[in-house]
Amino acid sequence: MSDSVNYGTIVKNGIFGENPVFRLALSLCPAVAVTSGVKNGFLMGVAVLFVMTMVNGTVSLLRNYINPKVRIPSYMFIIATWVTVTDQVMAATQRAVYKDMGLYIMLIVAFAIVLSRAEMFASRNKLLPSMVDGAAMGLGFLLALVLLGVFREFLGKGSLWGYPILGQKPLLIMILPTGGFFAMGLMMGWLNWLDRKFFGGTGASSGGH
Amino acid sequence: MKEMLKITLSLVLIFIGAGLIMGVTYKYTSPLRFKAEKREKEEALKQMAPDATDPIVAAGKWTTHGKNFEYYTATASAKPVAYISSTAGKGYSSYIQMLVSVDTDLKIRDVKILGHAETPGLGDQVEEKSFIDQFKGKSLPDIKLIKGETKENIQAISGATISSRAVTNGVKDAVQTLVEKYGAGVKTAAQGVRK
Repeated sequence: MSDSVNYGTIVKNGIFGENPVFRLALSLCPAVAVTSGVKNGFLMGVAVLFVMTMVNGTVSLLRNYINPKVRIPSYMFIIATWVTVTDQVMAATQRAVYKDMGLYIMLIVAFAIVLSRAEMFASRNKLLPSMVDGAAMGLGFLLALVLLGVFREFLGKGSLWGYPILGQKPLLIMILPTGGFFAMGLMMGWLNWLDRKFFGGTGASSGGH
Repeated sequence: MKEMLKITLSLVLIFIGAGLIMGVTYKYTSPLRFKAEKREKEEALKQMAPDATDPIVAAGKWTTHGKNFEYYTATASAKPVAYISSTAGKGYSSYIQMLVSVDTDLKIRDVKILGHAETPGLGDQVEEKSFIDQFKGKSLPDIKLIKGETKENIQAISGATISSRAVTNGVKDAVQTLVEKYGAGVKTAAQGVRK
């Protein structure tokens, strides 16, 4: 599968076909936890995009040296390394962003989607396709978080990216954890409906956490 | 046996490599990080007393909620212009960290919320200017949380009573401390000193 690689397919797959949140239903906890606002969702998405690209690249480079029997701890360690590096570099150089994001970065270590792409894709493909896959999956994750963030912040706070738009709070529950589940369910259902109606798709596969 | 060694070696090599990368990153980023953190702290203090011309230095420590806080004297040409204290209050889901500054007559000059993890949309409203501004110019006996209209005291935010109380109590603790430390030399604040 690594001889002729269609990058367009990989990118499309990451954003639509196997969107981490809405199609694979992976990493739903962070998707609910950080999407109370568009900004948080976006920043988290960017961090995940970077970590996934680097992790996929590293795993792909080391794929012939990692002993298959201990591949999971190996992947975990590679992920932890990149997350730590991201955290430290941001803390030192991007203070303003780090203030908003610092809490979330360390959480990326436990994201199912990162480990899943390392195992499913990077361990079987060459460097470049693996990095593209990581970036595409990260982009899919980012878009999903932004979409959820827009939905929740607009209904919950009447604002977008912190700027007030409606001047009132129509549905406060949307920015509480409960609302996160509502938003996730509604969004997933709506996207599945769109998919079935217009693209003849089969809907989301059953998910993890 | 040979298989076992191979597996162990494979893991150990990855661990050593990753450890090296993290160590090198830490070596180069940590000095920058500590410098930035120190500068941010100084800037926050400076904002609390913009008229201070000398560097603001810690004058001592005090304790509340089992945590240590510092208080500072802000001086201009060696004369005190304001007293500042870091403080915290126990909110709904976190400790709300704050800085409080008082004028030399021990009336509150400014309150600044440094960090918290209260409920977004409810508890985080305590950061709003309209709530914080209520503290300005108040002296110790007036720092009381009231549910409902008030001008003399602090009006709680509906839906965020616990967070409002946390801020009020944190500010009160800080002012209390500052009054105890500096009150002796200040006549106008005598009413606020509890013996």
